[in-house]
Amino acid sequence: MDFLSDFLTKFGAQLQSPTLGFLLGGIVIAALGSQLAIPDAIYKFIVFMLLIKVGLKGGIAIRESNLTEMLLPALFAAAIGILIVLIASYTLAKLPGIRATDALATGGLFGAVSGSTLAAGITVLDAQGIEYEAWAGALYPFMDIPALVTAIVLASIYTSKQKRDKYHKNEEYIRTETVAAGGYASEQIVPAGGYPTIDQRGTAGGYPGERGGSSGGSSSQPGDAPSQRVKIWPIVKESLQGSALSALLLGIALGLITRPESVVESFYEPLFRGLLSILMLIMGMEAWSRINELRKVAQWYALYAAVAPLLHGFIGFGLGMVAHYATGFTPGGVALLAVIAASSSDISGPPTLRAGIPSANPSAYIGASTAVGTPVAIAIGIPLFVGLSQVMM
Amino acid sequence: MGKIANKLVIITEKILLKKVAQIIDEAGATGYTVLETGGKGSRSVRSSGQPSVSDTNSNIKFEVLTDNRDIAEKIADRVAVEFFNNYAGISYICEAEVLYAHTFCGPDGC
Repeated sequence: MDFLSDFLTKFGAQLQSPTLGFLLGGIVIAALGSQLAIPDAIYKFIVFMLLIKVGLKGGIAIRESNLTEMLLPALFAAAIGILIVLIASYTLAKLPGIRATDALATGGLFGAVSGSTLAAGITVLDAQGIEYEAWAGALYPFMDIPALVTAIVLASIYTSKQKRDKYHKNEEYIRTETVAAGGYASEQIVPAGGYPTIDQRGTAGGYPGERGGSSGGSSSQPGDAPSQRVKIWPIVKESLQGSALSALLLGIALGLITRPESVVESFYEPLFRGLLSILMLIMGMEAWSRINELRKVAQWYALYAAVAPLLHGFIGFGLGMVAHYATGFTPGGVALLAVIAASSSDISGPPTLRAGIPSANPSAYIGASTAVGTPVAIAIGIPLFVGLSQVMM
Repeated sequence: MGKIANKLVIITEKILLKKVAQIIDEAGATGYTVLETGGKGSRSVRSSGQPSVSDTNSNIKFEVLTDNRDIAEKIADRVAVEFFNNYAGISYICEAEVLYAHTFCGPDGC
Protein backbone atom coordinates (compact mmCIF):
# COMPACT_ATOMS: atom_id res chain seq x y z
CA MET A 1 0.00 0.00 0.00
CA ASP A 2 2.88 2.23 0.85
CA PHE A 3 4.28 1.63 -2.58
CA LEU A 4 1.03 2.63 -4.24
CA SER A 5 0.45 5.82 -2.24
CA ASP A 6 4.04 6.84 -2.79
CA PHE A 7 3.61 6.29 -6.50
CA LEU A 8 0.32 8.19 -6.60
CA THR A 9 1.78 11.24 -4.84
CA LYS A 10 4.64 11.32 -7.32
CA PHE A 11 2.27 10.82 -10.22
CA GLY A 12 0.03 13.62 -8.94
CA ALA A 13 2.93 16.02 -8.55
CA GLN A 14 3.92 15.40 -12.16
CA LEU A 15 0.51 16.41 -13.36
CA GLN A 16 1.13 19.95 -12.12
CA SER A 17 4.37 20.38 -13.99
CA PRO A 18 4.59 23.39 -16.31
CA THR A 19 5.24 21.06 -19.24
CA LEU A 20 1.87 19.45 -18.93
CA GLY A 21 0.18 22.72 -18.02
CA PHE A 22 1.26 24.34 -21.27
CA LEU A 23 0.28 21.28 -23.28
CA LEU A 24 -3.22 21.27 -21.85
CA GLY A 25 -3.36 25.06 -22.20
CA GLY A 26 -2.61 24.71 -25.90
CA ILE A 27 -5.35 22.13 -26.33
CA VAL A 28 -7.90 24.28 -24.48
CA ILE A 29 -7.05 27.49 -26.30
CA ALA A 30 -7.26 25.77 -29.69
CA ALA A 31 -10.55 24.12 -28.70
CA LEU A 32 -11.96 27.54 -27.84
CA GLY A 33 -11.14 28.69 -31.35
CA SER A 34 -8.46 31.17 -30.36
CA GLN A 35 -6.69 33.03 -33.13
CA LEU A 36 -3.38 32.69 -31.32
CA ALA A 37 -0.77 31.51 -33.76
CA ILE A 38 2.88 30.88 -33.17
CA PRO A 39 4.89 31.28 -36.36
CA ASP A 40 6.28 28.22 -38.02
CA ALA A 41 9.80 29.60 -37.92
CA ILE A 42 9.71 29.90 -34.13
CA TYR A 43 8.52 26.36 -33.82
CA LYS A 44 11.35 25.11 -35.98
CA PHE A 45 13.87 27.19 -34.09
CA ILE A 46 12.70 25.83 -30.74
CA VAL A 47 12.96 22.25 -31.94
CA PHE A 48 16.47 22.98 -33.13
CA MET A 49 17.43 24.61 -29.82
CA LEU A 50 16.09 21.77 -27.71
CA LEU A 51 17.65 19.01 -29.73
CA ILE A 52 21.03 20.65 -30.12
CA LYS A 53 21.11 21.12 -26.35
CA VAL A 54 20.21 17.47 -25.79
CA GLY A 55 22.88 16.57 -28.34
CA LEU A 56 25.56 18.79 -26.79
CA LYS A 57 24.91 17.38 -23.33
CA GLY A 58 24.93 13.90 -24.76
CA GLY A 59 28.15 14.50 -26.65
CA ILE A 60 29.87 15.84 -23.54
CA ALA A 61 28.59 12.85 -21.57
CA ILE A 62 29.79 10.36 -24.17
CA ARG A 63 33.21 12.00 -24.14
CA GLU A 64 33.47 11.46 -20.42
CA SER A 65 31.87 8.07 -20.11
CA ASN A 66 32.59 4.52 -20.89
CA LEU A 67 31.14 3.69 -24.29
CA THR A 68 30.48 0.06 -23.39
CA GLU A 69 27.84 1.22 -20.91
CA MET A 70 25.90 2.65 -23.80
CA LEU A 71 25.98 -0.55 -25.79
CA LEU A 72 23.17 -2.45 -24.10
CA PRO A 73 20.67 0.45 -23.88
CA ALA A 74 21.38 1.31 -27.53
CA LEU A 75 20.78 -2.28 -28.54
CA PHE A 76 17.55 -2.35 -26.56
CA ALA A 77 16.46 0.94 -28.12
CA ALA A 78 16.88 -0.52 -31.60
CA ALA A 79 15.05 -3.69 -30.59
CA ILE A 80 12.15 -1.65 -29.18
CA GLY A 81 11.91 0.36 -32.39
CA ILE A 82 11.57 -2.79 -34.49
CA LEU A 83 9.28 -4.51 -31.97
CA ILE A 84 6.83 -1.58 -31.94
CA VAL A 85 6.33 -1.84 -35.70
CA LEU A 86 5.86 -5.61 -35.45
CA ILE A 87 3.30 -5.15 -32.68
CA ALA A 88 1.38 -2.73 -34.89
CA SER A 89 1.50 -5.13 -37.81
CA TYR A 90 0.05 -7.93 -35.67
CA THR A 91 -2.55 -5.87 -33.79
CA LEU A 92 -3.64 -2.68 -35.54
CA ALA A 93 -3.22 -4.08 -39.05
CA LYS A 94 -5.49 -7.04 -38.25
CA LEU A 95 -8.40 -4.91 -37.08
CA PRO A 96 -11.42 -4.56 -39.35
CA GLY A 97 -11.41 -1.64 -41.73
CA ILE A 98 -7.72 -0.88 -41.29
CA ARG A 99 -5.46 -0.87 -44.32
CA ALA A 100 -2.18 -2.64 -43.73
CA THR A 101 -0.07 0.21 -45.10
CA ASP A 102 -1.82 2.72 -42.85
CA ALA A 103 -1.25 0.46 -39.86
CA LEU A 104 2.42 -0.02 -40.68
CA ALA A 105 2.94 3.71 -41.10
CA THR A 106 1.24 4.29 -37.77
CA GLY A 107 3.45 1.69 -36.14
CA GLY A 108 6.52 3.29 -37.67
CA LEU A 109 5.54 6.69 -36.38
CA PHE A 110 4.90 5.37 -32.87
CA GLY A 111 8.19 3.53 -32.94
CA ALA A 112 10.02 6.65 -34.02
CA VAL A 113 10.96 9.17 -31.37
CA SER A 114 9.59 12.60 -30.61
CA GLY A 115 12.16 15.26 -29.82
CA SER A 116 9.63 17.29 -27.85
CA THR A 117 8.60 14.36 -25.66
CA LEU A 118 12.26 13.53 -25.05
CA ALA A 119 12.95 17.14 -24.08
CA ALA A 120 9.93 17.17 -21.78
CA GLY A 121 11.14 13.99 -20.09
CA ILE A 122 14.60 15.44 -19.60
CA THR A 123 13.12 18.60 -18.06
CA VAL A 124 11.09 16.59 -15.58
CA LEU A 125 14.14 14.59 -14.54
CA ASP A 126 16.24 17.77 -14.21
CA ALA A 127 13.54 19.56 -12.24
CA GLN A 128 13.31 16.75 -9.73
CA GLY A 129 17.04 16.33 -9.45
CA ILE A 130 16.88 12.74 -10.62
CA GLU A 131 20.15 11.46 -11.93
CA TYR A 132 20.31 10.05 -15.42
CA GLU A 133 22.94 9.39 -18.03
CA ALA A 134 23.16 12.51 -20.17
CA TRP A 135 23.90 10.29 -23.16
CA ALA A 136 20.46 8.69 -22.82
CA GLY A 137 19.20 11.41 -25.17
CA ALA A 138 21.57 10.01 -27.75
CA LEU A 139 19.50 6.81 -27.80
CA TYR A 140 17.03 8.72 -29.99
CA PRO A 141 18.44 7.68 -33.40
CA PHE A 142 18.94 4.08 -32.26
CA MET A 143 15.19 3.68 -31.88
CA ASP A 144 14.01 6.17 -34.48
CA ILE A 145 15.77 4.85 -37.55
CA PRO A 146 15.12 1.09 -37.08
CA ALA A 147 11.43 1.80 -36.52
CA LEU A 148 11.07 3.88 -39.68
CA VAL A 149 13.12 1.46 -41.76
CA THR A 150 11.13 -1.56 -40.53
CA ALA A 151 7.81 0.14 -41.24
CA ILE A 152 8.80 1.20 -44.74
CA VAL A 153 10.34 -2.16 -45.62
CA LEU A 154 7.32 -4.13 -44.36
CA ALA A 155 4.96 -1.78 -46.18
CA SER A 156 6.73 -2.16 -49.48
CA ILE A 157 6.88 -5.93 -49.11
CA TYR A 158 3.16 -5.84 -48.47
CA THR A 159 2.34 -3.57 -51.40
CA SER A 160 4.46 -5.54 -53.83
CA LYS A 161 2.64 -8.70 -52.80
CA GLN A 162 -0.67 -6.89 -53.25
CA LYS A 163 0.45 -5.68 -56.60
CA ARG A 164 1.15 -9.16 -57.84
CA ASP A 165 -2.32 -10.25 -56.78
CA LYS A 166 -4.21 -7.35 -58.18
CA TYR A 167 -2.04 -6.53 -61.09
CA HIS A 168 -4.76 -6.28 -63.68
CA LYS A 169 -7.09 -4.35 -61.48
CA ASN A 170 -4.43 -1.84 -60.73
CA GLU A 171 -3.71 -1.44 -64.36
CA GLU A 172 -7.23 -0.29 -65.06
CA TYR A 173 -7.37 1.79 -61.94
CA ILE A 174 -4.25 3.66 -62.77
CA ARG A 175 -5.47 4.53 -66.25
CA THR A 176 -8.59 6.16 -64.95
CA GLU A 177 -6.71 7.81 -62.14
CA THR A 178 -4.14 9.24 -64.45
CA VAL A 179 -6.74 10.90 -66.58
CA ALA A 180 -8.61 12.17 -63.55
CA ALA A 181 -5.55 13.42 -61.74
CA GLY A 182 -3.95 14.95 -64.76
CA GLY A 183 -6.92 17.25 -65.06
CA TYR A 184 -6.94 19.40 -68.12
CA ALA A 185 -3.48 18.54 -69.18
CA SER A 186 -3.99 14.86 -69.79
CA GLU A 187 -7.37 15.39 -71.37
CA GLN A 188 -5.69 17.21 -74.15
CA ILE A 189 -2.84 14.81 -74.37
CA VAL A 190 -4.82 11.68 -74.91
CA PRO A 191 -6.58 12.81 -78.09
CA ALA A 192 -3.37 14.34 -79.36
CA GLY A 193 -1.97 10.87 -79.29
CA GLY A 194 1.63 11.90 -79.58
CA TYR A 195 2.53 10.34 -76.26
CA PRO A 196 3.52 6.76 -76.26
CA THR A 197 5.09 7.31 -72.87
CA ILE A 198 1.83 7.76 -71.07
CA ASP A 199 0.71 4.33 -72.09
CA GLN A 200 3.91 2.64 -71.32
CA ARG A 201 4.21 4.29 -67.95
CA GLY A 202 0.63 3.76 -67.02
CA THR A 203 0.77 0.04 -67.53
CA ALA A 204 4.29 -0.66 -66.56
CA GLY A 205 4.37 1.59 -63.57
CA GLY A 206 1.65 -0.07 -61.55
CA TYR A 207 1.64 2.02 -58.45
CA PRO A 208 4.63 4.12 -59.24
CA GLY A 209 4.66 5.90 -55.93
CA GLU A 210 4.54 2.69 -53.99
CA ARG A 211 7.64 1.41 -55.56
CA GLY A 212 9.18 1.57 -52.15
CA GLY A 213 12.30 3.37 -51.23
CA SER A 214 12.12 7.05 -50.67
CA SER A 215 14.12 7.67 -53.76
CA GLY A 216 10.80 7.74 -55.58
CA GLY A 217 12.22 8.78 -58.91
CA SER A 218 12.59 5.25 -60.15
CA SER A 219 9.13 4.82 -61.57
CA SER A 220 10.01 4.95 -65.22
CA GLN A 221 11.66 1.58 -65.15
CA PRO A 222 9.46 -1.24 -66.32
CA GLY A 223 7.75 -2.76 -63.35
CA ASP A 224 6.28 -5.94 -64.77
CA ALA A 225 8.39 -8.06 -62.52
CA PRO A 226 7.68 -6.87 -59.02
CA SER A 227 11.28 -7.39 -58.16
CA GLN A 228 11.63 -4.67 -55.68
CA ARG A 229 14.30 -4.86 -53.13
CA VAL A 230 13.73 -1.99 -50.80
CA LYS A 231 16.72 0.20 -50.57
CA ILE A 232 17.37 0.79 -46.91
CA TRP A 233 20.12 3.35 -47.22
CA PRO A 234 17.92 6.11 -48.71
CA ILE A 235 15.53 5.75 -45.77
CA VAL A 236 18.36 5.96 -43.26
CA LYS A 237 19.84 8.89 -45.11
CA GLU A 238 16.55 10.73 -45.19
CA SER A 239 16.05 10.19 -41.45
CA LEU A 240 19.52 11.45 -40.70
CA GLN A 241 18.99 14.48 -42.92
CA GLY A 242 15.72 15.35 -41.20
CA SER A 243 15.75 18.55 -39.19
CA ALA A 244 15.41 16.86 -35.81
CA LEU A 245 18.10 14.25 -36.16
CA SER A 246 20.53 16.63 -37.89
CA ALA A 247 20.31 19.00 -34.95
CA LEU A 248 20.76 16.20 -32.44
CA LEU A 249 23.69 14.63 -34.26
CA LEU A 250 25.36 18.00 -34.80
CA GLY A 251 25.04 18.61 -31.09
CA ILE A 252 26.55 15.24 -30.26
CA ALA A 253 29.43 15.80 -32.65
CA LEU A 254 30.13 19.27 -31.27
CA GLY A 255 29.88 17.96 -27.72
CA LEU A 256 32.29 15.18 -28.51
CA ILE A 257 34.89 17.10 -30.47
CA THR A 258 34.76 20.66 -29.15
CA ARG A 259 34.41 22.01 -25.63
CA PRO A 260 30.99 23.67 -25.73
CA GLU A 261 30.45 23.68 -21.94
CA SER A 262 30.47 27.47 -21.60
CA VAL A 263 27.89 28.10 -24.30
CA VAL A 264 25.72 25.25 -23.04
CA GLU A 265 25.68 26.66 -19.53
CA SER A 266 25.19 30.28 -20.48
CA PHE A 267 22.82 29.96 -23.40
CA TYR A 268 21.21 26.59 -24.11
CA GLU A 269 20.67 25.43 -20.56
CA PRO A 270 18.81 28.50 -19.21
CA LEU A 271 16.58 28.78 -22.26
CA PHE A 272 15.72 25.09 -22.40
CA ARG A 273 12.75 25.00 -20.05
CA GLY A 274 11.20 28.24 -21.26
CA LEU A 275 11.39 27.21 -24.89
CA LEU A 276 10.01 23.81 -24.02
CA SER A 277 6.93 25.43 -22.51
CA ILE A 278 6.26 27.26 -25.79
CA LEU A 279 6.81 24.06 -27.72
CA MET A 280 4.31 22.28 -25.48
CA LEU A 281 1.77 25.01 -26.19
CA ILE A 282 2.26 24.47 -29.92
CA MET A 283 1.99 20.69 -29.52
CA GLY A 284 -1.28 21.17 -27.66
CA MET A 285 -2.71 23.42 -30.36
CA GLU A 286 -1.54 21.06 -33.05
CA ALA A 287 -3.08 18.10 -31.24
CA TRP A 288 -6.46 19.77 -31.26
CA SER A 289 -6.31 20.72 -34.91
CA ARG A 290 -5.42 17.15 -35.85
CA ILE A 291 -8.32 15.60 -33.96
CA ASN A 292 -10.65 16.45 -36.83
CA GLU A 293 -8.44 14.51 -39.19
CA LEU A 294 -8.45 11.57 -36.86
CA ARG A 295 -12.24 11.59 -36.81
CA LYS A 296 -12.27 10.83 -40.51
CA VAL A 297 -10.42 7.56 -40.12
CA ALA A 298 -11.40 4.43 -38.22
CA GLN A 299 -11.91 4.73 -34.48
CA TRP A 300 -9.32 2.03 -33.96
CA TYR A 301 -6.56 4.56 -34.53
CA ALA A 302 -7.68 6.58 -31.53
CA LEU A 303 -7.73 3.46 -29.39
CA TYR A 304 -4.34 2.34 -30.63
CA ALA A 305 -2.87 5.81 -30.11
CA ALA A 306 -4.14 5.90 -26.54
CA VAL A 307 -2.92 2.44 -25.53
CA ALA A 308 0.26 2.07 -27.60
CA PRO A 309 2.42 4.78 -25.93
CA LEU A 310 1.94 3.21 -22.51
CA LEU A 311 2.46 -0.34 -23.77
CA HIS A 312 5.62 0.73 -25.61
CA GLY A 313 6.77 2.62 -22.55
CA PHE A 314 6.37 -0.48 -20.39
CA ILE A 315 8.40 -2.51 -22.90
CA GLY A 316 11.08 0.17 -22.74
CA PHE A 317 10.88 0.23 -18.97
CA GLY A 318 11.22 -3.55 -18.75
CA LEU A 319 14.27 -3.64 -21.01
CA GLY A 320 15.68 -0.63 -19.16
CA MET A 321 15.37 -2.61 -15.92
CA VAL A 322 17.35 -5.42 -17.50
CA ALA A 323 20.07 -2.90 -18.38
CA HIS A 324 19.83 -1.50 -14.86
CA TYR A 325 20.63 -4.85 -13.31
CA ALA A 326 23.13 -5.85 -15.99
CA THR A 327 25.24 -2.72 -16.42
CA GLY A 328 23.99 -0.28 -13.81
CA PHE A 329 21.86 1.91 -16.08
CA THR A 330 20.47 4.56 -13.69
CA PRO A 331 16.75 4.67 -12.80
CA GLY A 332 16.56 8.09 -14.46
CA GLY A 333 18.03 6.56 -17.58
CA VAL A 334 15.50 3.72 -17.44
CA ALA A 335 12.69 6.28 -17.19
CA LEU A 336 14.11 8.15 -20.17
CA LEU A 337 14.34 4.98 -22.25
CA ALA A 338 10.70 4.28 -21.40
CA VAL A 339 9.74 7.84 -22.38
CA ILE A 340 11.58 7.54 -25.69
CA ALA A 341 9.77 4.26 -26.34
CA ALA A 342 6.42 5.80 -25.42
CA SER A 343 6.90 8.83 -27.66
CA SER A 344 5.72 8.98 -31.23
CA SER A 345 7.45 11.11 -33.80
CA ASP A 346 5.94 14.39 -34.85
CA ILE A 347 8.78 16.22 -36.56
CA SER A 348 11.02 14.04 -38.62
CA GLY A 349 8.96 10.88 -38.88
CA PRO A 350 5.94 12.08 -40.89
CA PRO A 351 7.83 13.39 -43.95
CA THR A 352 9.99 10.27 -44.06
CA LEU A 353 6.96 8.01 -43.93
CA ARG A 354 5.02 10.14 -46.40
CA ALA A 355 7.81 9.66 -48.89
CA GLY A 356 8.52 6.04 -47.97
CA ILE A 357 4.93 4.76 -47.84
CA PRO A 358 3.09 7.13 -50.19
CA SER A 359 -0.08 5.05 -50.28
CA ALA A 360 -0.66 5.29 -46.54
CA ASN A 361 -3.17 7.89 -45.45
CA PRO A 362 -1.34 10.64 -43.55
CA SER A 363 -4.51 11.61 -41.70
CA ALA A 364 -4.44 8.21 -40.04
CA TYR A 365 -0.89 8.11 -38.80
CA ILE A 366 -0.19 11.79 -38.20
CA GLY A 367 -3.61 12.23 -36.60
CA ALA A 368 -3.07 9.25 -34.32
CA SER A 369 0.39 10.40 -33.31
CA THR A 370 -0.06 14.13 -32.90
CA ALA A 371 -3.64 14.27 -31.67
CA VAL A 372 -3.54 11.38 -29.21
CA GLY A 373 -0.15 9.66 -29.01
CA THR A 374 2.02 12.63 -28.05
CA PRO A 375 -0.39 14.10 -25.44
CA VAL A 376 -0.76 10.63 -23.87
CA ALA A 377 3.00 10.10 -23.82
CA ILE A 378 3.65 13.50 -22.24
CA ALA A 379 0.67 13.71 -19.89
CA ILE A 380 0.56 10.13 -18.68
CA GLY A 381 3.72 8.45 -19.91
CA ILE A 382 6.33 10.80 -18.46
CA PRO A 383 4.83 11.04 -14.94
CA LEU A 384 4.09 7.33 -14.95
CA PHE A 385 7.56 6.16 -15.91
CA VAL A 386 9.47 8.76 -13.88
CA GLY A 387 7.34 7.90 -10.84
CA LEU A 388 7.68 4.20 -11.47
CA SER A 389 11.46 4.38 -11.81
CA GLN A 390 11.65 6.19 -8.47
CA VAL A 391 9.70 3.60 -6.54
CA MET A 392 10.93 0.49 -8.32
CA MET A 393 14.65 1.08 -7.88
CA MET B 1 4.24 42.04 -78.55
CA GLY B 2 5.74 39.48 -76.25
CA LYS B 3 6.71 35.93 -76.93
CA ILE B 4 3.91 33.39 -76.66
CA ALA B 5 4.70 30.66 -74.18
CA ASN B 6 2.95 27.96 -72.19
CA LYS B 7 2.61 28.36 -68.48
CA LEU B 8 2.36 25.06 -66.66
CA VAL B 9 1.15 25.29 -63.08
CA ILE B 10 1.54 22.39 -60.67
CA ILE B 11 0.14 22.65 -57.17
CA THR B 12 1.20 19.80 -54.92
CA GLU B 13 2.64 18.81 -51.56
CA LYS B 14 5.72 20.55 -50.29
CA ILE B 15 7.54 17.32 -49.58
CA LEU B 16 7.61 16.67 -53.33
CA LEU B 17 9.45 19.92 -54.03
CA LYS B 18 12.81 18.40 -54.88
CA LYS B 19 11.36 15.52 -56.87
CA VAL B 20 9.11 17.75 -58.99
CA ALA B 21 11.96 20.20 -59.51
CA GLN B 22 14.10 17.35 -60.77
CA ILE B 23 11.43 16.27 -63.24
CA ILE B 24 11.16 19.83 -64.54
CA ASP B 25 14.90 20.05 -64.98
CA GLU B 26 15.11 16.71 -66.72
CA ALA B 27 12.35 17.69 -69.12
CA GLY B 28 14.50 20.56 -70.31
CA ALA B 29 12.63 23.56 -69.01
CA THR B 30 14.83 26.61 -68.61
CA GLY B 31 13.56 27.49 -65.16
CA TYR B 32 10.63 27.59 -62.77
CA THR B 33 9.12 29.59 -59.94
CA VAL B 34 8.00 28.03 -56.66
CA LEU B 35 5.57 29.60 -54.23
CA GLU B 36 4.38 28.45 -50.83
CA THR B 37 0.66 28.15 -51.03
CA GLY B 38 -2.47 26.65 -49.51
CA GLY B 39 -6.11 26.06 -50.24
CA LYS B 40 -8.86 23.53 -50.36
CA GLY B 41 -9.34 20.53 -52.58
CA SER B 42 -10.37 16.91 -52.58
CA ARG B 43 -7.96 16.27 -49.71
CA SER B 44 -9.59 19.01 -47.62
CA VAL B 45 -8.02 22.21 -46.40
CA ARG B 46 -4.26 22.21 -46.50
CA SER B 47 -1.80 24.80 -45.24
CA SER B 48 -4.29 26.68 -43.16
CA GLY B 49 -1.54 28.84 -41.77
CA GLN B 50 -1.16 27.41 -38.28
CA PRO B 51 2.28 26.33 -37.28
CA SER B 52 2.41 22.83 -38.55
CA VAL B 53 4.50 20.29 -36.78
CA SER B 54 5.89 18.93 -39.99
CA ASP B 55 5.86 19.94 -43.61
CA THR B 56 3.45 17.19 -44.56
CA ASN B 57 0.58 19.64 -44.58
CA SER B 58 2.18 22.38 -46.66
CA ASN B 59 1.60 23.03 -50.33
CA ILE B 60 3.71 24.52 -53.07
CA LYS B 61 2.90 25.89 -56.49
CA PHE B 62 5.27 25.49 -59.40
CA GLU B 63 5.04 27.80 -62.37
CA VAL B 64 6.98 26.72 -65.42
CA LEU B 65 7.19 28.70 -68.64
CA THR B 66 8.04 26.67 -71.72
CA ASP B 67 8.13 27.77 -75.30
CA ASN B 68 6.90 24.47 -76.62
CA ARG B 69 3.90 22.64 -75.33
CA ASP B 70 5.54 19.20 -75.46
CA ILE B 71 7.88 19.95 -72.60
CA ALA B 72 5.04 21.22 -70.44
CA GLU B 73 2.97 18.14 -71.19
CA LYS B 74 5.88 15.83 -70.54
CA ILE B 75 6.38 17.39 -67.11
CA ALA B 76 2.67 17.26 -66.28
CA ASP B 77 2.46 13.59 -67.31
CA ARG B 78 5.39 12.48 -65.27
CA VAL B 79 4.27 14.37 -62.18
CA ALA B 80 0.73 13.01 -62.46
CA VAL B 81 1.78 9.42 -63.02
CA GLU B 82 4.42 9.38 -60.33
CA PHE B 83 2.70 11.30 -57.58
CA PHE B 84 -0.95 12.18 -58.00
CA ASN B 85 -2.28 8.76 -56.99
CA ASN B 86 -0.94 9.16 -53.50
CA TYR B 87 -0.32 12.84 -53.02
CA ALA B 88 -2.51 15.90 -53.25
CA GLY B 89 -1.97 17.65 -56.54
CA ILE B 90 -3.40 19.34 -59.60
CA SER B 91 -1.81 20.68 -62.73
CA TYR B 92 -3.05 22.96 -65.46
CA ILE B 93 -1.64 24.76 -68.42
CA CYS B 94 -2.41 28.20 -69.75
CA GLU B 95 -1.13 30.53 -72.42
CA ALA B 96 1.19 33.27 -71.42
CA GLU B 97 2.94 36.09 -73.14
CA VAL B 98 6.44 36.66 -71.91
CA LEU B 99 7.35 40.30 -72.03
CA TYR B 100 10.83 40.51 -70.62
CA ALA B 101 13.29 37.72 -70.04
CA HIS B 102 16.78 37.67 -71.40
CA THR B 103 17.52 33.99 -71.53
CA PHE B 104 14.01 32.83 -72.27
CA CYS B 105 13.47 35.15 -75.20
CA GLY B 106 16.96 35.15 -76.64
CA PRO B 107 19.37 38.02 -77.16
CA ASP B 108 17.01 40.07 -79.30
CA GLY B 109 14.39 40.38 -76.60
CA CYS B 110 10.82 39.18 -76.64
